[in-house]
Order: sequence, then structure tokens, then C-alpha cells
Amino acid sequence: MLLDANTSMDLKIVSLISVGKHPTSGRARRAEQDGRAVELGLSVAEAGRGKQNLTVLHAGDSQQSALRSYAGMGLESVRVIQLRESADAVSPLTEYLRKHAPDIILTGVRAESGESSGMVPYLLAEKLGWPVVPRIANIVSIKEGVAEVLQALPRGQRRALTVRLPFIASVDNAAAEPRQSAFGPASRALIEQQQASSDADAVRSEWSELPARKRPKRLKVVKAKTAADRFKAATAKPQGSGGKVLKDEPVTEQAQAIFDLLLEEGVLR
Amino acid sequence: MSDSDYSDILRRDPRGERIARNRLHPLHSTVAMQVGEMRGPSGLLRKNPHSVGFIGPNGIKRIDRLKGNAVAMSGRRNAQSSQEVLLPLHQVREPAFTIVVVPDMVGGRLTAHDKDILGQAHQLARSMENDSTGLGAVMAVVFGSSKEDSFDKAGVDRLLLLDGSEYEGYCPEQQVTALEQVEARIKPQYWLFPDSVHGGTDLGSRLAARLGERPATQAWQVNTETTICRGASGSIDITRDTPRLLMLAQECANPIDETRHEALPVEWAPVQSVLPELHDLGQVAVDPNAIPLAEAEFILAAGNGITNWDQFHATAKALGATEGASRVAVDDGNMPRFRQVGASGTWVTARVYLAVGISGAIQHMQGIGQCDKVVTINTDAGCDMVKRADLSTIGDAEKVLDELVNLVATHRQQASHNHSAEKEGAKDAA
Amino acid sequence: MTFEWLHPFLIATALLLAAVGAVRRVNLWRAGQPESVDFVAGLMAMPGRYLHDLHDIVERDKYMSKTHAATGGGFVLSLLLVILVHLFGVQSQILAWALLASLALMFIGAVFVFKRRLNPPSRLSKGPWMRLPKSLLAFSSAFFILTLPMAGVLPEVAGGLLLTIVLSIFIAMGLSEMLLGMTWGGPMKHAFAGALHLAFHRRPERFGGGRSTGLKPVALDQRVLGVQKPEDFKWNQLLGFDACVQCGKCEAVCPAFAAGQPLNPKKLIQDMVVGMAGGSDARYAGSPYPGKEVGQANGGPLLTITEGLIDPDTLWSCTTCRACVEECPMMIEHVDAIVDMRRFLTMETGSTPNKGAQVLDNLIATDNPNGNAPASRTNWAADQNLPLLRDLKETDVVFWVSDGAFDMRSQRILRAFVSLLKAANVDFAVLGDEELDSGDVARRLGDDATFQSLAKRNIAALSQYKFKRIVTTDPHAYHCLRNEYADFADGLFDNIEVLHHTTYLNELVQAGKLKLSRFKGGKVTYHDPCYLGRYNGEYEAPRELLRSLGIEIAEMERSGFRSRCCGGGGGAPITDIPGERRIADMRMEDVQTTGAELIAVGCQQCTAMLEGVVEPRPQVKDIAEILAGVLLEDEAENNVESQLEEAF
Repeated sequence: MLLDANTSMDLKIVSLISVGKHPTSGRARRAEQDGRAVELGLSVAEAGRGKQNLTVLHAGDSQQSALRSYAGMGLESVRVIQLRESADAVSPLTEYLRKHAPDIILTGVRAESGESSGMVPYLLAEKLGWPVVPRIANIVSIKEGVAEVLQALPRGQRRALTVRLPFIASVDNAAAEPRQSAFGPASRALIEQQQASSDADAVRSEWSELPARKRPKRLKVVKAKTAADRFKAATAKPQGSGGKVLKDEPVTEQAQAIFDLLLEEGVLR
Repeated sequence: MSDSDYSDILRRDPRGERIARNRLHPLHSTVAMQVGEMRGPSGLLRKNPHSVGFIGPNGIKRIDRLKGNAVAMSGRRNAQSSQEVLLPLHQVREPAFTIVVVPDMVGGRLTAHDKDILGQAHQLARSMENDSTGLGAVMAVVFGSSKEDSFDKAGVDRLLLLDGSEYEGYCPEQQVTALEQVEARIKPQYWLFPDSVHGGTDLGSRLAARLGERPATQAWQVNTETTICRGASGSIDITRDTPRLLMLAQECANPIDETRHEALPVEWAPVQSVLPELHDLGQVAVDPNAIPLAEAEFILAAGNGITNWDQFHATAKALGATEGASRVAVDDGNMPRFRQVGASGTWVTARVYLAVGISGAIQHMQGIGQCDKVVTINTDAGCDMVKRADLSTIGDAEKVLDELVNLVATHRQQASHNHSAEKEGAKDAA
Repeated sequence: MTFEWLHPFLIATALLLAAVGAVRRVNLWRAGQPESVDFVAGLMAMPGRYLHDLHDIVERDKYMSKTHAATGGGFVLSLLLVILVHLFGVQSQILAWALLASLALMFIGAVFVFKRRLNPPSRLSKGPWMRLPKSLLAFSSAFFILTLPMAGVLPEVAGGLLLTIVLSIFIAMGLSEMLLGMTWGGPMKHAFAGALHLAFHRRPERFGGGRSTGLKPVALDQRVLGVQKPEDFKWNQLLGFDACVQCGKCEAVCPAFAAGQPLNPKKLIQDMVVGMAGGSDARYAGSPYPGKEVGQANGGPLLTITEGLIDPDTLWSCTTCRACVEECPMMIEHVDAIVDMRRFLTMETGSTPNKGAQVLDNLIATDNPNGNAPASRTNWAADQNLPLLRDLKETDVVFWVSDGAFDMRSQRILRAFVSLLKAANVDFAVLGDEELDSGDVARRLGDDATFQSLAKRNIAALSQYKFKRIVTTDPHAYHCLRNEYADFADGLFDNIEVLHHTTYLNELVQAGKLKLSRFKGGKVTYHDPCYLGRYNGEYEAPRELLRSLGIEIAEMERSGFRSRCCGGGGGAPITDIPGERRIADMRMEDVQTTGAELIAVGCQQCTAMLEGVVEPRPQVKDIAEILAGVLLEDEAENNVESQLEEAF
């Protein structure tokens, strides 16, 4: 990472973290993207003056043990704005961030629990009047108050962007994996609690939540104009079960078949 | 069985015959064929020396009872090659309300996701029309240059095309400003965005924050009353009142396929351009091998059956595929460990997985479970990989890869040739 | 003789300096962490431990055991008599003759030591160790000549000044090697430290034929978890490192060393000594860590070991197969030391390599290493109709399924075992979703916190029910349950027998509860899983089972307690440190030299590793699978067979 002398001196970074949820067991854990936000924050801070320039901030329950797994990444402390479960996190966060005026705020793209709308960075950006960069994979350099970041696009593609400080960025899964959380530092880190008052999220209290239903797979809808088409749609073999095997065909034919499939799938660029 | 097997069956179309006989029928011209020219039983175009008769659908010659006024039916077999059926046009003269859809337009074309959203927009519109008076219009706001030519069939009633230079590249701030203007001028009933990594989520979230709307994200079942969205990384369903701004999941509704729409361009006073804080430096060239294996779209994977590794790497380069490997290939030191695909390596999600010389150990098969299309080149027709694959070729991998590289090379040449020809054509037209 | 005072003076000085050295050395050990040891009992037991336990191991090499008995025994006796005769001047012909005899014995021993050092095998360290036989010869011959007059063989004033000078030089040389070297860090250090090591061994249970293989738990509230600096070892571990004789037996059996991974157990222990005493490894004169140069490592008692002294890759190469521990004549605990240092890397620095972090995260979040849904643990047995302990509350045998439940290959072993249990009408049940990973991998990867959490929850699950035995097909889980859970179980395991499935099946077969036909197949060899054999001493039951099928086992050269690891233990496949070869491939070569067509195995991890070797190779089958294949079914159980056939 390239940092020039002026900015690296007092580059303050805040990584916002939430409590993740393991996809198969549903247990609280370090969220994948938030972990990456901390990792990116750490690597920017370490390239500058040191870890102390990174504040890891959580709005919620300070007793949540999953916060320790962030601390296990080598943090001396995790700051927690203590909130009730149903409280809205954005306004106390805004207040905090306004007061501490960091240069970079890093978040995950979407929380792994709750509404997981991914709106927090946008709402903070709107309230603070800062630019927001979604889904970054890396911060390439910070020079003269302007950061060059790499944005993650689908299928491993990248886009380079520049943005002036201060800014908010959400960190994509394509960013560097978070370092391992070690038990020792995790159990020794300080959880700095901070009280805040926030209104309950009234809108959300009216929602009902259920375990996700399996969405039916969309059938290949055949708008049958004729009986023959309907018959065909009903009886044709479903795709994928048992593929085509070219055994005794000449090599050219075999290669052609593969080529046609690649072309059809549009993977040849 | 393929399409052609069915369409080869000749079938009578009594209604068509009736229309063909009735010269006053409005559709007469679409079904009737010029006299003297018809399809023979073999499907070949024939000049009919005897205009007195015609060939019936079963290929038997029939006497023409219309005495020279005969018009032959175009058989079903030819219907395909002739024009497509013209879908009924859905017209909205004075929209009572507007639903705005902001499609992703990946590569300048509507994606399947976009079409689903348009379908959803029409579902919402229909149910609102039931409750109120007047027809609603679905308006698509499209940024940047568009290559799409079937907005009408996708369900776009109104098309706002903002293709000024300020909309080129990644410019969410400019786009949001434009959308804010749409909000101010049109007051749409609903804002629909695809909840996608192609920019829909970004733009939707920005607009929601700007307008102070609380959006529904990952919404997958929407009506005018309630919306069900996925929450907690897809593990819960949240049922809530339908908000004004929705970011919809894939396959939330069926795309439009039974109607045509006007796709009327909307006149729009220019949007003031904003001074962006984000500057797009353009897409960074990514080496296919630098793409994480789990994300790669197209993987060429090598196994124990590979003997010529130089050729393998060359093939991967020629195809533009990300390289993968079976455990054996990694253990033998031919490929680095991070290229290993499988339960103990990387679980891949490629759309096309081309496995060369991989017999398919169970752990490997687990790792490619999410791949769409699996193609294999193998020597053993009985191995598990062939059982799983959509297309398998049994033979010498080296030869097949060689041939494949040749095919791709010729294809590339032609494509570039066509491309330059296209450019020439464009110049001529200008 | 004009220099009468000289030799007693030399002896006295040497003894004094040796004593000073001993105090210094003891202080080095005392820098380690406290560990309570029964000093008196230990010292009392020491000679016995030397003569039995240590000697039994040395006895595996007859040449060396005889040589050592002569040299060592002769030296100890000689030293005592030298002190009496030459230092205190006790005038006694008998003593003098006894001294002559013991010196002669020592001399003969030293000649054999010398002979072996003429063309030493690569596992032996060179350097100062090449000097040792000469010093032994010098010591024994010089004192022999010096004693001759006292025995009345030679006149008092024989020789002259020249002889006196030559003798004095020899004596000085011998004394400095034998006495100063003992406490100031020469090759003879092994006698001093080794004797005390035997007395104050951290695992006294190992002596007298016992077995102590379970790792010691970490107190999780410590300032530093695991071993960061040499000081963080227990004092008697440090003492143990000093006992090393650099014989290289460990190096010769280490699978990682043979595979060219950067681990050499002997060098590791020597590096520990370097760390304890401070300095560099430049004086080390044995085989290096494969692919690493000697002389680059520096350490000190207060310096972090993994920063400069030992490359973490060295620690992560270990498969914890205990072959080195089994082979070490000084009974040094290499594996304990390695895991202690891994604990620091994992629990303090968070640097478990490769997939380690992911596996540990999965264990924390899903209680199994691959992140499978915890509720899917019994999916493999959907068609097995297994009784659940939750429903029965009480049973005879608990079948501990282990994480093989998530692996499709291992499921075949589980099915085979279930079919055998059913055929023998055993009253058994499984824990189902209440069972968690045993914590084996977490513990070997150094994450004792996760291990302890898993262990405690498993124990809590088990303690709800009444049963007599736990049987498992996984030797790793077996080891944890049998040897490591007791530290957290509050006596729960006192009345419970933990068995490996081969032991249990053997019991059933010997009791005639399973009707088996004879095995009709080719040549069969048996691979001893480390965690069954060396960790738990079960070598016989699997063999007896195979023999009962009429199989004559084609034994590999490395079998029984010398069995070579498959490479699958200790989290080695997860940390995956590159080497020149793969351990599993080497093991398969061992198999292939026997000409066997089938490898019988008693461990799913070994099965996976050996089946990972590229074909053509012999087939790999768990003993349960072999048994299930020859099971004679009653009519009533025919359906089980057909199910099995489907499964295979």
C-alpha cells in the first residue's frame, strides 16, 4: 500500500462491525465481510502509523461474544455503542462518526443477520455528506487526500476508482481474507462500552420474520401454442441428467462439440 | 429429442385453413401463400404446374375445390421460417401512474434479471389498475448507450434513455441526481431495482438513502400489499408492507412474454451534471488466473490424465479460462495447491467447468457441485466425471485440446474480422 | 614422583568446575515454568528407569546397547573408584584392581564406540561427538596406566617426566570431556541431564511399561498461551531437551524428514537447547532441516522461538505420529514440545497456516472441521435406523461416529461397522446430533481453547446417559476420549471403557458372536494407525481379527510400533507444508514392497490418505469393511446385506 507522508500521519480509520451468522449452523460469528473490513482497516493502518489508528466499532450488544473474534485479529480494543436489540443503529453511529471525524469508514456489504439490507454505509454517507464506494476489494494508495480503490465486479473483475477522503466504503468478499482470530488476544482485548440512546426501529417491529422458505426453482416455462409443444414440454427430459457422450467420433467433431458449448454459454470472450 | 423432431410432424390447422379460404378475413394475408409456389412433401419449394390442386398436410394431393382461387396454406413447418407471431400491443395513452424500473443493462442489454423486474412492474401495475382507474405505465430509466432492441417485448411502456457523455462509465452520483429528477417530475408509484452486483443494488441504495425511503432488499415475492424479502444473508424471510422502493431478487416474477409494449421515448430536459467525488479509472485488466477460483466463470481443470502441461497452460490462455486442478495434479507438483478444486480445495461456481483428464474422485465432484455446465475430456467413459458431465468426449486429451485451440483461434480471427467489417459498415452508413 | 599432587589436583579441579557447571545448567532449567515433581520418588526410581525403560529402548540396537553398557557402566564405576583411589588416596589393592577392571571395561566399550564412529550413519551427529571416543580412550587408558602402580603391577617410579606429562595431558583431556563436558555442554551432558531427566520426567507414567500419550491441557487464563520463549516450557521439559544424545533415531523414523519437509526432530531438540542456553545453531553437526541451512538460527531464553530460532513451517510439518518419541532412548517428548509451540502460534499470533484458520473457525461455528450443518450429522444413517441415546437413555455400547459421518468414503466404514454391530446383536446407540467433533484436530493445531470447549460439551452430552462402553472407528477420537478427556471429565470416564472398533470387533469374533467366512482375496498387509498403535498400544487386536479370517498378514518392514505414519495426523493435511515427496506415497511404497493387494487399515484418516495415492496401487479397506464383506448373515438379516451391497 502506498501512503504519502502527509496523509499517513493522521489517517484515522473506523471499521464498522456487526455480529455475523454462520450459514449452516446459524451461530453468531465474525461476519465474513466485516472481518474483511477490519483486515483492510488494519492493513491501511499498519502501512501508516500503526494499529492504534484503527477503531473497530460496533453498535449493539457489548456482551456478544462474537465481538471477541474480531478482537482476536490483534486488536487491543473494540468499541461498542451499547444499544438495545431493536434500536436503530444509524443515528448513534452518525453521531459518533461526526464527533470523531475519521478519514475512512469501512463496512461490510451486507450484515449476516437481521434485515441485512446493506443500507448502513449509504445512510451514513447521506447523513455525513461523504461519498460512498460500494464493494471495494482493496485500497491501492492514498495520496494527497485522494484514495485509489479497486472495486470488485462480478466474476473476479476489478474497476479502479479514485475518491477523495473522507469516504465510506463497503468491503466485498473479494478483499483480502481476514486474518485468523487468535484466542489469546481475543480473550484479553478490552470491550469499550459507550452508552447511547436511540429510538426503537418502529417500522421493523411490524415485520414478521420466518426461517427462509425454499424458493421454487423456476420451471422452464413453455408457452405452448400447440398440443405438440405442450406434449414436448411435458415429456422432454429435464436438462442435465445424463450428458452427451462422444466416444467414437473423430477428434475434430469432439472439439467442435466442446467449442459449440463454450460459445453457447458465452464464456469465450 | 430436439425441436425439429416435433416440428417435422405435419399437422392440420383447421382455423388457418378456414382463414385461408376466406379472402375477407383480416388475417387472410398472413396465412395464405402466393399461388404457384408451395412446399412439397419434402419441404422443398416447388413451382406448381397444376394450379388446380394443392398438397394437403399429409402430403397427399388434394383437389382444389375453390377452382383456381386456391390459396395454399403455409404449413406449420414453414411457420417458423416465416415471420414471428405479432404479440398484442399493450398501449398506455395517458398513464394514471408510473412504475419506474432501473435495469442493470449489462453490456447495454437487458439481463434476465432486468426482464424479471419488468415483469414484476407489470404485475404491480395490473393489480393497481384493478383497484383504481386508468392504466399505469412502466418506465425504464436506462443510462448510457443501449444496444437493446426489444424493450417493447420486455414490457417497457416508456423509455427514458439518458445516454449523454456524463453517463459513461461508473457514475452513480450522476445517475442518482437524474433519478431524483425523475422522482420530482413523475412521482413514480414504485421504484424497482434489480438487487444485483451489476449496479442495481448500489443505485437503489443510493436513491433510497437520498429519498429517505426504507427499501425492501432481496425482495422475492411482491404485491401491492406485502413484500417478502430475504434477510440475514438469505436465512430468513421478512414479511413486510410493500415500500415504494424495492430491490428485487432474481426470478421475483415472470418476464413479459405475451404482450408488446410501446417503449415510447420520454422527452427529458437535461439533468444538471454533478461534480462527482468518485472518478472511474476504468476496468482493470484481470488475468484469468488472477481471478479467485471460487469466483471464476470458466475453469479449465487438469487432472492426472494431463501429460503435456505446456499445452494445458497454453490452452487455458487461449480459451481465457482460469486454471484449476484435481488433487492428484497438485500432489504431483504440477499445479500449485491453491488451484485445487474439490472438497479439500476450493468449491467452485463456474458456469462452465472443462475437466481434462479428471476421473472425478468424490471429493472433486463435491467441489464442482455448483457448476452449471460440466464438460470433460477423458479416456475412461465409465468414470464418475463422465456420468456428471453435460458433455463428454472420450479420447486423447492432447489432440482434442489442440483442435479446440485451433477452433478458438479461427473463431477469434473471424470475430475480429466481423468486428472490423461492422465498423466499416457503420462508417458507410454515416 | 615429583608431581604427586598434580593428578588429585586435576581431579578435584575438574569435579569442582563440574559442580559449578552443574549449578549453571540447573539454573538454565529452572528458568522454565514450575511443574510439580516428586523429587525423592523420582530420584529413587531413576536407576530402575535407566536399567529397564531406557535400556529396553537401547536394546533394540544390540551393538549399541552392549557398547553403552560397557562404556557407561565402566565409566560410572571408574569415576567412583578414581575419586576414592586417586583423589582421596585410599590405598587398597582390591580397589585398585577393581578400578583397573572397570577401566578396562570402559576401554573396550570405547573401542567399539570408536569403531562405530569410523563410518557413522548419517543420523548421528558429528562435531564434538566424533571427539568423544578419543576422550573415552584417553580417560580410560590414562587412568589405567596411572593405577597400575597402585595395583602393584608396576613399580612406583616407572616412566619419568615425559610419561607423567603425557599421562597428565591425557587425564586432563579425559577429565575435561567426562566431567566438565557433562555440565558445561559437551556430549557427556547427556549423562548428567539424562539421569535427572529420567528422575523428573514429565510423564512418569511412561516408565515400567506404561503409556502416557495425551497432551497436557493449557490453562486458558495464562498471560501467554502456549510456548513463545524457551522459558515458557516447563522446567523438566527444558531438562529433557538437554538429555538428547543426538543419536538421530528420531530423524531416521520421522516421516516428515523422510518426505523432505523442513522438520528434523533431532535438530528441533538441539534448537531448543540453543534457545535455552542462548546463541546460534552454528555448532550443530547433524543433519539439517531438509532444505534449510544450519547456522542461521539464533535464540535465547527470552526470545520468541519462531522468530529466528525455528521456522513455523518446521513445527507445522509434524504429523504428531510419535515415532520419534517411541524411538528416543532418552524418552524425550518431541510432540509435546511441538504442540506447545503450535499453541502459541495459533492461540496468540493467529498464524495457523493454509486451511488451518478455516478449519478452526468451522470447528468453532459448526463443531466439525468442514463447516457442515451440525444438524446433518446423522444424514449418513438415514437408512440405518440407528437407535439414539436421546431416546434410549441407557445402552451397553455407545457408537462414537466421529466426523467420518460427513465424509462419503468414511461413511462406508461406518455402515460396515453398523452392519457388524447389528449382526452381533449388540445393544448399542449413537449420540446423533449431540455428538461433536472430538477436538483432535483443534488440539493438534494448537487451539486448545476450541478443543476444551468441544471436549466439555461432548462430556456434558455423554454424562446425561448410562452406558458401559464407547466404541469408535476413528483412532483420533479414540485417543481423545480415552486419554485426553479425563482432564475435563470429573471422573466420568473412570467407569467407562473406551474401545477402538478393532478391539471391540475382535472381542465379538473371539466370543463367537459374529459368523464370518474365510477371506477370499489376495495378499493382505496391515497398516498400523499411529493413534491406535503408538498412542494406545493396540497392535494385536487388528492382527488377530485378520488372522481369524484366515489372512496371513504380509507385514511391512515398518510395522507395529515402528509403523510409518500415513501423513494424515496432527492436522498435517490441513497445514500442508510442502516437501519433496508425500508421506502417503512413501507409505504406499512400503506397502508395495510386500506385494500386498489389499491394505487393511483401522482409521478413516489413513484410508483417505492412502487412497489419495495415485493408482495403480493396492486397495485400501478398513477392517470393518473387510469383516462386513465376509459376514455370514442369518436369514433375518439378509436385508442388511443387500443394503450393504448397495452401499458399496
